[in-house]
Parts: sequence; structure tokens; C-alpha cells
Amino acid sequence: MINDFATVFVVEFIRRVTSRPFIISIVIGMLAVSLFSFMPLLVSQAFSGPSNIALVGDPHLLARAKPLLAHDYTIQAELPPQTITAASLKAHHVSSAFVLTATNGRLALAIYAHDPSSIDTGAIARSLAPLALQNALHRSPSEISALSAVPVTVKTLNAKFANASDAMAARGIAYALLLFLYMLILINSQLVGTSVAEEKTSRIAESLIAAIDPAALLAGKIISSTAIALLQMAAWIAAIVASSAVAASALGSPGGSDAAAASSSTMLFSLSGIGTFITPEIAVAFFLFLLIGLLQVSTVYAGFASLINTTEDMSNVARPFLIVVVAAFFIAFTALGVPNAPFVVISSFVPFLAPFVMFSRIAVANVPLWQVGLSLAINLIALYAIAIGAGKVYRVGMLMYGRPPKLAQVLNVLRS
Amino acid sequence: MNERRMLEVDHVRKEFGTVRAVSDVTFRIDDGETFGLLGPNGAGKTTTMRMILGILTPDGGAVRWNGAHVTPEDRRRFGYLPEERGIYGKMKVRDQIVYFGKLHGMKEPEVGKRAAWWIERLSLGVYADRPCSELSKGNQQKVQVACAAVHGPQLLILDEPFSGLDPVNADLLIAIFNELKASGTTLILSSHQMWQLEELCTRFTIIAAGENRAAGTLAQLRSAWPTRVVRVAPADEALRAPFAAVSGARALAGIDGVLDYEVPASTDFATLLRSLVNVAPVTRFEAIEPSLHEIYLHAIGEPKA
Repeated sequence: MINDFATVFVVEFIRRVTSRPFIISIVIGMLAVSLFSFMPLLVSQAFSGPSNIALVGDPHLLARAKPLLAHDYTIQAELPPQTITAASLKAHHVSSAFVLTATNGRLALAIYAHDPSSIDTGAIARSLAPLALQNALHRSPSEISALSAVPVTVKTLNAKFANASDAMAARGIAYALLLFLYMLILINSQLVGTSVAEEKTSRIAESLIAAIDPAALLAGKIISSTAIALLQMAAWIAAIVASSAVAASALGSPGGSDAAAASSSTMLFSLSGIGTFITPEIAVAFFLFLLIGLLQVSTVYAGFASLINTTEDMSNVARPFLIVVVAAFFIAFTALGVPNAPFVVISSFVPFLAPFVMFSRIAVANVPLWQVGLSLAINLIALYAIAIGAGKVYRVGMLMYGRPPKLAQVLNVLRS
Repeated sequence: MNERRMLEVDHVRKEFGTVRAVSDVTFRIDDGETFGLLGPNGAGKTTTMRMILGILTPDGGAVRWNGAHVTPEDRRRFGYLPEERGIYGKMKVRDQIVYFGKLHGMKEPEVGKRAAWWIERLSLGVYADRPCSELSKGNQQKVQVACAAVHGPQLLILDEPFSGLDPVNADLLIAIFNELKASGTTLILSSHQMWQLEELCTRFTIIAAGENRAAGTLAQLRSAWPTRVVRVAPADEALRAPFAAVSGARALAGIDGVLDYEVPASTDFATLLRSLVNVAPVTRFEAIEPSLHEIYLHAIGEPKA
């Protein structure tokens, strides 16, 4: 049995990793995650243009305005009052000119821009509000700053995170991991189904079952698929690590703008971000629930695939089950916001839902250890039952041709 | 007589829901024997084969191998070419044969050598490293034969091995099966090409509607046949008179230039020949034994053509 399993495992593994769909999915996946890592760089570059501005006005006024705007803009030039034209913007390599005036203590700003839609007037007004107050009240900048400063603190009731920004960042990471989990489980389970369907429709199944125990055949397929999913995950992680390193170095290089470099430090998908928020417990939970989810879902897919006659039938037969998996993803997504809502907690124990939902809960909340243990126990027992049931269906289904069996017939097989 | 019975199929029965695929099938196959399992479509041949291979479990009766129930270890020593052919289209010919060898417990380098031998024997050398999907149907079938036999099985079950093969490849397979037979492999063959089975098999069981209808060697089946066909030439009307004297004789629609009569098997053919010669000159006298085809049709209850 072990030898049979090993033989099927090796052959299936090699067949799959050398297959065109696998190579395409690996390459596209790696490109996609790399693109994700480069997003901060691309975003920063895309927005670097509008952040270059020229300040125009009385030099004394500009000297006081400059620190207030420097946080959001790169001030390329400070010019005396003058008429602004497109040519003058081009001459100073800026996308817009901020013309500041103060009349009777009233501060006013006129902005000349190539693309007015890129100007956030509200944010600029808030930035310059202290200057307006200085002018109106004739108070020193430090006095104004002291008067206008409102200390705001957020106290989280979720002991998992120290503050709101950490919680938000963790939720972002958890969402990415959940998506990752979902894709790995669904893609690889469907590939198991396709492989079984191929053997059924090509009629090679009978030769295989005559040679070895169907359980060894099924187990070899499912475990090889799990190994392939892990390989896929490793490839994607390697792509993230490599591309994040390249992106970080590009952002920090002389070619990268200061604003972009600053923004990169807070990007969720930077290396430091991943390291901070993917704690060992989240990593272990991800791995465990990936394994359980993959085994549960791919075993069911294998059972369904054994019942079909043509590969086209596969989507019809598996559709009801696909809805369950998609529902699990959406509940898990909801769980990121309300990890302790009653329906979320219940879902985190239910087979097929738990791998997604319990993982989400663990990623964003402190889930009691007994709940995690109970969920694992229920799902491992369920996995055993699923394997027995799918094995029975597979053993019969692989030899069954003609009209797909009715639900009652499948239930009969399961009862046998 | 110290004959070892290798395979016993003992009153096996198999039902699928309300459909009874096999009601009561019994036969025994000796070590090294080539056995023909015959029957019309839906007779239960494939189900019986699947029960022998352990793919299906009998609802009643038993299948025994050397006196004991068939174990997974026994199944490793079986080979099977199912009627429904299947192949991994994208897998190379050599890899496919090696894979099946490994599934039957073979290890490298032995499995590689055996695969190479089969590729050579089946004249598949030029296709060895090509995907199976690029092969013709006949060559794919030869690959499947190699997959079924690469591990040197003690028992090789072949369900319709000749279907879809051209005469050259059919002859090649017959030669290979004879080699396997000579090397001591026990063969179970099921085919609708009766003449090929007549050539290969030493014993037969004919089943229909899931139960035994006839069994034995070809000689035994023939000896149990109640009539013989006597063919006489020329087609001289005077030669009909001696047949009229044979109790139970009846004229058949013969071919041009001959007279065909069905007579009881117990007929004294020497006396009949003398009577014919006394009536008219006889250039041909032949007491034709029933063919396997006729015995088969009779056993399954089909009218003669």
C-alpha cells in the first residue's frame, strides 16, 4: 500500500509539475505577486508628478507656508509673484504652481495645474489652516500649533493589537493570506478533480484499479496535489520575497523619490510588514488549515470527478460544492471584521468552512485555544469521514459509465 | 494426476441495484492454461473478470487463487487488459509501461529493462519516447498490452485483446500470447473473434445471462454437440438417397457444388460413405465438426445463421 501510494505520488507529482497548466499558473502567480510587491513603487512613481510644485508669492509668506506643505509636496521652486503659464510650470519641472497671497490678514491660495483633478483642495486647506490663523490672529506659529493640536489616541479593545493602525495592517495581511489560502485550495482541488476526470474519461481507471488499491491511487493523487500546492506556495513566497527586496531597494535608491521611500516604509506588503504581522501562530494556522482545506476539498472533488463521463460534466457536478467553498471564503472575509460574531464562531467549526473561517479569526483576533483545538479535531474527524465516503464513491464511480448516478444512488454507495 | 488448480471461480454472483449482472458463474483454470471466457454482450464476462481481479466484490460465491481468497499481493501477480481501453495521452510510451510495472511492484532497473523488451517485441521502438496520444489506435492497444504484461504476471486477463487491430498486429499478439503460454503464464481471453480463440485456448466456458451455459475443451464441447455436418461432392441428386436412410438427417442449404446434411453425431460415417459410393461417384466426403462459433451460438440460445 505504501509503495503503491509512493509510486502514484511520484508519477502524479511529475506529471503535474511538468504539465503546461501548472507551469502557466506558477509563472502567472509569481508575476502577480511580484506585481503586488512592486505596487508601492509603481504607485509612488505614478503619483510623483503631481507632488512636484512651485510656490509663488511673498518670500516671507512662502517661508512660513513651506513647512506646512512639505509633508505632502516636493517644492521644486519658490518664485516671486508673477503670472503663471503652462510654459512656466514646464520651465520649473513642476505639475502645479501654488500662488499664495495675504490681503488684510486673509490668506488665499490659487493653484495653477495641468491636471486640476489631482489637487486635493480640502487637504491643502487643512495643511495651510495654521498659517491662516497666524495671519488672522497675529499669533506666533508655535502658539498656533499648541492651540490647534488635538491629541487623538485610539484604545483597542482587541488585545491582539496595540493600536488601530496595527489592527488595520494585520487585517490587510490576513485578507491577502485568506485570498492566498482560497486560491491554493481551489486551484489544486480542481486540478485533482481534473486528473481523476481525465482517468475516468480516458478509461485508464480500470487498468489502474486492477493494479492497485483505489485508496492508494486516490491518496497518491490527493497528497501529490497537496505537495504541489505547497510547492506553488513556496514559489509565490519566493517571488514575494525577491520582488519585495528589489522593490525596496528601488524605492530607497537615488532614483526613487523621498515621498515614495517614505510611503514604502508603511506598505503592508513590504518585507518588514510581512515579518511584523505574520506571527508564528498565524503561519502555523495558515499551514494547518491549508492542509486540512486542501485535503477536504480535493477529496470531495475527486469523488465528484469519478462520477462524470466527460470533463465538461465536471463543472455541473461540482457546482453545488463550489458554492460552499465560495461561501466559506465570504464568511471568512466577514470574519476579518467581526471575528467573534456568533455565526462566524459557529462557521469556524463547520467542515469545509472552518479552514477559511478559523484561519481568519486567528489572524485578527485572540481565539481561545479550546476553540482552535475543537475546530481542528472536528475537521480532522470530518476529513477521515470524507476520505472514507469519497473513497467509496470513487471505487464505484470510476467503473460507472453512462448516465451520471442520481443522488439516491450516491447515498446508497455511501451507506454501503 | 497431480494437477494444481490455480484459479477457482466458484458460483459467483453480482448485482448492481436491481440488475443482476452475474447470477451463477463457475469455472476453474489450471496452472499455465489458456482459457477462453465467451459470452454475448451483457453476459457478465467483464463483471466476472472484475471479480477475479478484486475490482468488484462478489455478492455471493467466491474467487480463489491457489485455494485461498485473492489478496492484494496476489493481484500484483495478475495483469489485466480491460475491454475499455485507456491510456495517459500525454505520457510517453516508455514512461507509461514503466509506471504500470511499478504499480505491480517492479523496481528500477528491472522495470526499465522489461519495458524496453516489450517496446522492442511489440515493434514500438520508434514511438518509445513519444506521447501515447501521437500513436495510432492499434499501437496504443499494443502499449496497453505491454502495460498489462510488463511485470510478467502469473495470470493475464485479456478482455477483447484483438478488437480494432489489423490482421498483422492481431497475428503479432497471437504470437506473443503463445510465447506467454509457453512460458507458463495462465491466460484468460475473452473475444468475439472465435477463430482466434480456437487457435489459442485449451478450454472454454460460455456464459449467457450471467450463468454458465457450456464448458470444456474444444474436443469436449464438440463431442457433446448432438449433430455433425456431412459435406459431399458432387451435388448429385442421387446422393440424397443414402441420407434419407439416416435417422434424423436433414438437408442444409449448401454451397454450390456440394450437398450439406446435418446428421446425428452418433452416425456411422464409414457406413454412410460406403452407401454414398455405391450410389454415385463421390469426389468429396467430409464430416465437419461444429466450430466454436456454432457451439457458442447454440450455447447462448441464438438461432443458427
